[in-house]
Amino acid sequence: MSFVDYSVEPPVVEGKPPLSSIDDAIIKPIDAKPTKAWFVAIAVSGTMLLIGAASLAVTFIFGVGMWGVNQPVGWGFDIVNFVFWVGIGHAGTLISAILFLLRQRWRTGIARFAEAMTIFAVMCAGLFPLIHTGRPWLDGYLMPYPNQHGLWINFTSPLVWDVFAVSTYFTVSAIFWYVGLIPDFATLRDRTVSRIKKIVYSILSLGWRHSNRHWQHYEMAYLILAGFATPLVLSVHTIVSFDFAVSIIPGWHTTIFPPYFVAGAVFSGFAMVQNMLIGIRKIYAIEHIITIDHLEKMNKIMITTGMMVGYAYGMEFFIAWYSGNSAETFVFFNRALGPYAWAYWTMVICNVVFPQLFWFKKIRRSIPAMFVIGVLVNVGMWFERFVIVVTSLSRDYLPSSWGFYVPSIYDIGILIGSFGLFFTLLLLFVKSMPVVSISEVKGVVEGAQPSHGGSH
Amino acid sequence: MQDARLYSLSAIFQTPDEIAHAAEQTVERGYTAFDVHSPYPLHGMPRAMGLKASKLGYVTLVFGLSGAALALFFMWWVNVIEYPLVIGGKPLFQLPAFIPVTFEVTVLMAAIFTVVGMLFVIFRFPNTSHQLHDTPYMKAVSSDKYGLTIQALDPLFDEERVREFLQDLGAVEIHRIQFDAEEIEARPRIFEPRFVTLLILVALLVGPSTYIILNHVLYMPPFDWMMEQQKINPQMKSELFADGFGMRSPVEGTVARGHLPYPFKGQPDLAGKFLVNPILPTESVLELGKKKYDTFCSPCHGNFGDGDSRLRGQFPNPPTLHSDKSRGWSDGMIFHVVTEGQNIMPSYASQIKERDRWAVVHYVRALLRAKHATEADLR
Amino acid sequence: MKTPLQIEFQQKALPTRLTSLAWVMIGAGAALAVAAWYVDGPRAAFNNVVMFMMLASIGIGSLFLISLEYVAGAVWSTPMRRVSEILAFIIPVTGVAALPMFLNLHDLFHWTHAEAVEADAILKGKSPYLNVTFFGIRFVATFAIWYLFYHFITRNSRKQDSTGDQLFTRRNIRLSAIFIPVFAVTVTFLAIDWIMSLEPHWFSTIFGVYYFSGTMLAALAAATIAIILLHENGYFGTLLRRDHFYSLGALMFAFVNFWAYIAFSQYLLIWYANLPEETFWMTRRWEGGWEFLSLALIVVHFVVPYVGLLAQEAKMNPRRLKIMAIWILFAHFIDLYWLVMPTHHESFFFGWMEVGFPLLSVGIVLLVFILRYRKTSLIPTGDPKLKRGLDFRL
Repeated sequence: MSFVDYSVEPPVVEGKPPLSSIDDAIIKPIDAKPTKAWFVAIAVSGTMLLIGAASLAVTFIFGVGMWGVNQPVGWGFDIVNFVFWVGIGHAGTLISAILFLLRQRWRTGIARFAEAMTIFAVMCAGLFPLIHTGRPWLDGYLMPYPNQHGLWINFTSPLVWDVFAVSTYFTVSAIFWYVGLIPDFATLRDRTVSRIKKIVYSILSLGWRHSNRHWQHYEMAYLILAGFATPLVLSVHTIVSFDFAVSIIPGWHTTIFPPYFVAGAVFSGFAMVQNMLIGIRKIYAIEHIITIDHLEKMNKIMITTGMMVGYAYGMEFFIAWYSGNSAETFVFFNRALGPYAWAYWTMVICNVVFPQLFWFKKIRRSIPAMFVIGVLVNVGMWFERFVIVVTSLSRDYLPSSWGFYVPSIYDIGILIGSFGLFFTLLLLFVKSMPVVSISEVKGVVEGAQPSHGGSH
Repeated sequence: MQDARLYSLSAIFQTPDEIAHAAEQTVERGYTAFDVHSPYPLHGMPRAMGLKASKLGYVTLVFGLSGAALALFFMWWVNVIEYPLVIGGKPLFQLPAFIPVTFEVTVLMAAIFTVVGMLFVIFRFPNTSHQLHDTPYMKAVSSDKYGLTIQALDPLFDEERVREFLQDLGAVEIHRIQFDAEEIEARPRIFEPRFVTLLILVALLVGPSTYIILNHVLYMPPFDWMMEQQKINPQMKSELFADGFGMRSPVEGTVARGHLPYPFKGQPDLAGKFLVNPILPTESVLELGKKKYDTFCSPCHGNFGDGDSRLRGQFPNPPTLHSDKSRGWSDGMIFHVVTEGQNIMPSYASQIKERDRWAVVHYVRALLRAKHATEADLR
Repeated sequence: MKTPLQIEFQQKALPTRLTSLAWVMIGAGAALAVAAWYVDGPRAAFNNVVMFMMLASIGIGSLFLISLEYVAGAVWSTPMRRVSEILAFIIPVTGVAALPMFLNLHDLFHWTHAEAVEADAILKGKSPYLNVTFFGIRFVATFAIWYLFYHFITRNSRKQDSTGDQLFTRRNIRLSAIFIPVFAVTVTFLAIDWIMSLEPHWFSTIFGVYYFSGTMLAALAAATIAIILLHENGYFGTLLRRDHFYSLGALMFAFVNFWAYIAFSQYLLIWYANLPEETFWMTRRWEGGWEFLSLALIVVHFVVPYVGLLAQEAKMNPRRLKIMAIWILFAHFIDLYWLVMPTHHESFFFGWMEVGFPLLSVGIVLLVFILRYRKTSLIPTGDPKLKRGLDFRL
């Protein structure tokens, strides 16, 4: 067992690679022709995307009646998937903003990729509320604009808050991501020999010159954006939780929902980032930039957030009993013992039990083990949303209006399609843009900063 | 005389410590038009270069606060002024429920304007034709070197002395960066035939396709605007009913709302006995009664019920309302007369609504009482 | 692995004036408190709950801050960690401060009235949890667990001073990792027992998190006040710089926002859903003069610290930071007052009885600090992270 020496700062980037080698490591895969494996991967994800597109086409032509939703379960896979994808998106902003504010320098290697993932996940998420309206070509009505009907949207509705939160989140994440990419595009521009790429990168880099007069404002802007993105990321899943919690449906109306949803979102997001990074670092051969230490830290965050989620499960159960409210108490017993008990126990085992294995350092640092746990966590978190959405709706106050929800084949098709969209976008991203922030990683290599003393 | 085409002397350094030192020395020598280039931000460099702290935070503050104010004001205007709607039994201005949107708009405005302000106002981007672009110097600082550029427009600039200064600092390479002659003399090229042709082609493509999409594609399935629905509209034929009419007549004996038949038809005595004025003579009721009386009754009965018609004999004058006989009538009786008419007075049931007729009764009572006020009324 | 001693540090003794001040505060506070118990027992009991929760916040919050440092591997706080370690000694003292209330549970908790429970189906349903025996067991267990963790973590830390053995850091990291989930559960049930069950019909799942956000603020504020006062009077020498204060301030700023977030979430959800079984708790705080305290809470606990700590300069300037820390401690008191007191009486009250208990608690904290300070080195001289912490730059 190796001992950690706490008196020295662990290096963020392993070894002490020359700065130009970082350019090479990150940019070469973009310049090289795609490999066979990449084509196989995009073929698979493209197929999944097509399955989703076909299911969507059926939905649009015949209406949302093609889905499994019906009275009393009016929210089914659409909202489950929406919440799931929004949650996945949270890790990116967490890594790029919160860890930035906490000065966790290990974030530099993984931030860019996680941010890209955020954007793609939010795209997948945004899809669901839009299609769930039934006639998505009328979704313009969601925005407040002076219209011929003389109507305004209801600003007190959490669904409208969602529109604002998700669109703001998408915009700010995209800005954050692009601002981070500008210096890297400049580096790409100065390296490339292809004429077309040069034009593209010149436009994208806006003429960035690596000037320190600019860097100064740039760092300030980055700090400000991080300062805003942090409460923003909390607000988004908080508002998603309000969709449920402001109602009076038993099992939905509970005050712990906001922090509980945020913790769950970070939990699932980290699991997804961890899974993806394991692949990326292997394929790109950048194990010295995205090190096993980074993955271990992500696993630690996963066990922490996993326990927060576990705390919330426990708290909900306890208070449901403590409240003395028979409808509340029933809902929770129904979750654990009712017709959807299998979903509930999948959720508990995947989210609370399996992450406990991360208490062991060996498992925290074993790639196959953490990969499997990461996948299980995402399965568990998907089921968490399923349990929340479906069990509460299927059996609420009136036993005479209870029902049972079964997803249709089109629901499953759209879910597969959303994964297809996500992976397709990711695959395109890793072939066209630097997956690791070149300028940030250079800044944290040992000896990259002026030594202290003279200027202080 | 200096070279008019010279932009700067730019030196390349190997290590961050050297560039930090070089920046401090440059400031000490008094150069102002200089810049340091590095592939990533260097800690402590703004201080070494003598830069003032970034004021970007103020932009954020101003736009963030205006975003918050704008959002709150807008929601107040919508929910309280423009489209007031009681939701959940709560006040129109539901501050707690407005906070999420206010917060989101604040963040959105602040983030967008911070970045836009930085990139387009402070940096004056996009600027892809800067002299430093596409030079070996830029390629080096873009990757792993650190560069110091002293511009020729600096008042203290003297090529030989700057070169010496840079060499003393330990520069490994020194580049002369020059303005591009072609660029200095470049003319705007928007009227070139190729460009104009491109514009025309784009216009030809965009115009018709927009037209087709907005007018045709958007009305093809599955785009369903609910203009045609699977239901029977009035006047439509029905396959279901034997008579073939889509419209159905109501069940026998159906009474439309507000059209209950008058139960005392031709029975003034019963009306006078059983009908009671259902409304109270409040100020607004009396005003309503006055309005209706003045409109419908006063032409014949006169403004004060004296029977002094304004019709100048075109229609027979009615007797005064202040007679003992009519003063003895009950409210129900007066109502009945207004409703059914009497002698040559026609029915006013179709002109004056039921409630309004009762208001008229109150007004008439007030008129009668005004003319026959007693001592007690003055108290 | 051993770390060689990294700095020479001469500990200055605290002035004796401070000890007298502490005793004066305790004396005056205790006199007022005893008088309060004599004059109006129930009211004194409620005041005692506020004092107890305040002390618990500082004590257990400090221990949590310490364990957070270990688990997160933070270095900036290492030179200042001892202040939190000293403050964490309030944990056992808090246990003692709660004892007078056990004589008077009947006045505090409606659910201790057997006949009321008998007549109320909901309270009857809760009685397996809300009964005096189990309540006492929970109380004892909570403080025993906290004390054990406090004992082992600080003992390891102190032992390291002389040996410099990194093994102690490893041990403390493990202890802290175990402590954090234990802390989450115990603090939640402490809050439920002593504050939520004052209104035994009311329930809110977020309540533990709400109280937790307050403990963090109180512990951070108390530590910040102590650190800055010690720094200003030269007890830290020149070891601390703006970078350290900035980090303290930033953490405090973050938790001010966190508190606001949790408080708003709880309020919004109850307000929006409008269920009478939840809203009565809020309406109680919205009438009889309490509404002014509720509004003041927003300003005192969020607006003022938010504006005061927003600027970078405010977090770096020790003087301003100190003022904000004192303010935040005061805000936490207001928060607890707002949570506890409306149960006692439906209209707002504040009198001499409410002055004695805070005075007493400040005196206790001060005295505990003085006594523990004598036995502990202000700087964890043997900590392997100390050098990195002292060199910490933003």
